Amino acid sequence: MAVSSTKQVPVALEYVQYEHRLESQYLPAIRALISKDLSEPYSIYVYRYFLCQWSHLCFMALDPKDSSLIGVIVCKLEVHSSHSPPTRRGYIAMLAVASPFRGRGVATALVKKAIEAMASRNADEVVLETEETNTPAMKLYEGLGFIRSKKLHRYYLNGNSAYRLVLLLKAVDPDHGPNYDEQ
Amino acid sequence: MADFGVGVPDEIARLSLGQGSSPTDTLAPNIRSEGIVAVDVTAKFSDAVKTLEPGAIVKDGFFTLFDSVAALEIMDPKMDSGCAAAEAEVEQLYDVSRPLLPEEVLGIIDQLLCHEMSWHLGYPLSQTLFTSFYVEALSMPDPRSIQEATFIRGGGHDPNEQPMLQVLRAYCLGMLKSCGYVNERIKSEHYYEEEDFVTNTYNRTLLASLPTSAIQDVLLEAMAALESQRGSIPDDLVEALLLRLKLRHIFLDAVECPKHMKEPELAKNPWREGLAILSALKTTHSLSSPVDEAFSAKLQRKLASTMPPRPIVQLDFDVAFGHLKGLFEDALELIDVLHYTDSQCLLTFVTTFQAKKPQPIVYVRTLLQTFLFDAMEVLGSMSIRQLLDDDFAILTMPAHQYLDRLNDEVEAVQDPRYAMAQQMELFRTRAAQPFLDILRTACQNRCRVRRTLCHLLRDWEALQLDAEEIDQILQVKAKEQPTMYRPSMGSGGVESYSLPLSSWTYLYKLRQMEQIIQLGFELEIYQADELAGMYWYLNYIAKSRLHHTERIKMFVIKRVEEAQAHPIPSDPTVGTQLQRSLMYTRLSLLDAAVTWELSDSLSCLYTVLNRLKLVKAPPRPYGTDELRYEIRMRPFAPVGLPVLPTFEEFTAGTLQPDTEVEELFEYAERAVEGAKRGFEALSKMTAEESFSVGSHQRWAEAAKNGLKSCIATKIAIAAVQKAVAKAADSENLKIKVEVPTPQKAYHAFWIVPKIVPLA
Repeated sequence: MAVSSTKQVPVALEYVQYEHRLESQYLPAIRALISKDLSEPYSIYVYRYFLCQWSHLCFMALDPKDSSLIGVIVCKLEVHSSHSPPTRRGYIAMLAVASPFRGRGVATALVKKAIEAMASRNADEVVLETEETNTPAMKLYEGLGFIRSKKLHRYYLNGNSAYRLVLLLKAVDPDHGPNYDEQ
Repeated sequence: MADFGVGVPDEIARLSLGQGSSPTDTLAPNIRSEGIVAVDVTAKFSDAVKTLEPGAIVKDGFFTLFDSVAALEIMDPKMDSGCAAAEAEVEQLYDVSRPLLPEEVLGIIDQLLCHEMSWHLGYPLSQTLFTSFYVEALSMPDPRSIQEATFIRGGGHDPNEQPMLQVLRAYCLGMLKSCGYVNERIKSEHYYEEEDFVTNTYNRTLLASLPTSAIQDVLLEAMAALESQRGSIPDDLVEALLLRLKLRHIFLDAVECPKHMKEPELAKNPWREGLAILSALKTTHSLSSPVDEAFSAKLQRKLASTMPPRPIVQLDFDVAFGHLKGLFEDALELIDVLHYTDSQCLLTFVTTFQAKKPQPIVYVRTLLQTFLFDAMEVLGSMSIRQLLDDDFAILTMPAHQYLDRLNDEVEAVQDPRYAMAQQMELFRTRAAQPFLDILRTACQNRCRVRRTLCHLLRDWEALQLDAEEIDQILQVKAKEQPTMYRPSMGSGGVESYSLPLSSWTYLYKLRQMEQIIQLGFELEIYQADELAGMYWYLNYIAKSRLHHTERIKMFVIKRVEEAQAHPIPSDPTVGTQLQRSLMYTRLSLLDAAVTWELSDSLSCLYTVLNRLKLVKAPPRPYGTDELRYEIRMRPFAPVGLPVLPTFEEFTAGTLQPDTEVEELFEYAERAVEGAKRGFEALSKMTAEESFSVGSHQRWAEAAKNGLKSCIATKIAIAAVQKAVAKAADSENLKIKVEVPTPQKAYHAFWIVPKIVPLA
């Protein structure tokens, strides 16, 4: 799909922050939506790993008619210190929108919610990986201010490479030395 | 199209058990021993669990994302390879003793060839060759002798005697054995597991215990058996099968080519022989009839792995054949690296070889590493000292007293030559690793080359400090007199010392900085609206290299003048060495100049395109341009010199707000004219002049592509200029800009925009 060419009237969806009490209602739908585009499903622990620790960084787009799940974004925010200086790094782990609702800005709205939630929790940067062939995703993130920092050779199981995309929210303290392209 | 990038790393891919790993099971302690008081906690545990909500995650601080991705859900058929509906045993799915038609054997062989190439491209054996029932039959249990290596074990089976099965068996044995060589070669060099290649053999040995000669004998016997079938099998099928057996025989010789490192022509032979039969192999593929049921993903259940079941990788025969041909051509080409001329020709060889499109596959890249570094010797015969000294002599120290081998013999501590020997040895120890890393890095996949250069740059930055210190010690010991140096762009002269070691180091550092930027273009790291800025920065670094090379040249010329004034008749190499250095500075100046000028031109052109809104920046509501500049410059931040431009300088250089569009066109035109002349001069250089002995064709090709990029840039400038002149309104220029992918550009480093008229 192409974000720009199929641009339709934005739908008024409800955007809801995930909470653990919603697990039985929404986790199966979240898994189904995300798994649709994966060659191998993630185990339930992957979802719980994110959702139980960072439910405040997970947002759902719901259809106001029946509260069904249209889109979801799953993130984490941790101190990243494999290189100096340590940064508070937000990471967008999963993002999916049901195909009939694509091209209407749902994904963009979800990413914005996530960035703002991470920024309000003092994130220094937000990073993610995306498949080199996934032009709509790249366009979405780059439109918001992300830039590519490196290319990862054959990163995905299907043999495709990925780009690491980075959005810096704060300048890195120069007294702590350079924060260069890490492994 | 997929979703918006489900991004949890494919860590699941990294979960297979390595072969040969010993079981780590430890026995539970004996609870009846004296020291243990057993307490039944079942009730307490059930009570505690009741306080948890369903779905709550209980984990310690060491439970990582990797662990969560590693977890499998038992009985989910997509995750649990042992979970299968009541089904026949895997072995019963296909009978390896069934009679095969010649065209079926041909079909299976060609299917195996596709799988072998998929494996070369980075897919695991479990999804490629190990999905073959024939491969499984030959591999498990591991045959202890060649006689045991048959499809049907247990002696006296007639089906093994069928000529068609003999052919297939011989092919499979040859194939598996050569895969064993390939796997060992890759494992012994620097590569990235899972990313470049998967070395896991799932406890299969790839026939490690069978001697290669025995397998080659089996291949010869199968060829003889085939010959005897002429008459009962159509001739074209006999030929097709013979070719494939022959290829396996040749390939077994080819993978042993490193043993002929001292005789390159011998090492080349099998690759050449293989190439000679490849086209016939391709045309006979049409005779084959594939046997899909001879392969099954279900065989994965028998592999020692926790990996979930994965589909068989399907590679088209023509694509697979293309890679096979590429493998033979590249391997043949790379053996020429063994003909050493000098360190710079070697570097040119390696960089142009690795820049080939498509890049040589990982096996070829590791073979090159073997040739380069085997057993701490370079190219099988040189010491690292020879290589380094050769390079010092070319770049900054032709016929230099610091490099005099006789210095090593001096024992008097007060003799300056004693210090020279000591300090130079110290510098060599420091420089060896960063220098060899340049070669090793070049052998990685292109994404890794860029990332590794970013790290390597810091080592060279540190080396430069060492070099400066040693230069100062030595210039005192050698009582070097300063020289008046007038930079071409500056005013006035400065008293300068030659600083040969730090000059050498700095030149490499600048080249690496340029490469990092250039690979950014090649790997499409930059968005279209960033190109003006990135070419501006490339221009800035190239300019530094040009000025630095001018300084080096001045000192080389000084050495030439000294040599003419005081000739040393006893040493005939002095003249040659000085000439060689002069030749190198000429090349280096020209190369820096074309990089400077073409990047200058493209930067100006993109500035115009940005200004005319023909290339538009996305809205970017988050972050700031200054923060994005910080990310872009992260690789270069550790470098002291050349100084990192401030964000303000970068912005001014990229926008050129005080320069009118017309003027920008003029600058761009003038610069590209200069670059064009430079590339013309470069492309006329001989192999010796361009330090590309052994790889001149590739080098010249790159220079020609640079020239074509200049011409395309000229055309683009003229097209925009014309549109601007014609249009009454700068908002409506009736043209659009297409920024090509590097694959479509003449040269991956030069992304020249294409200007397309709008109707």
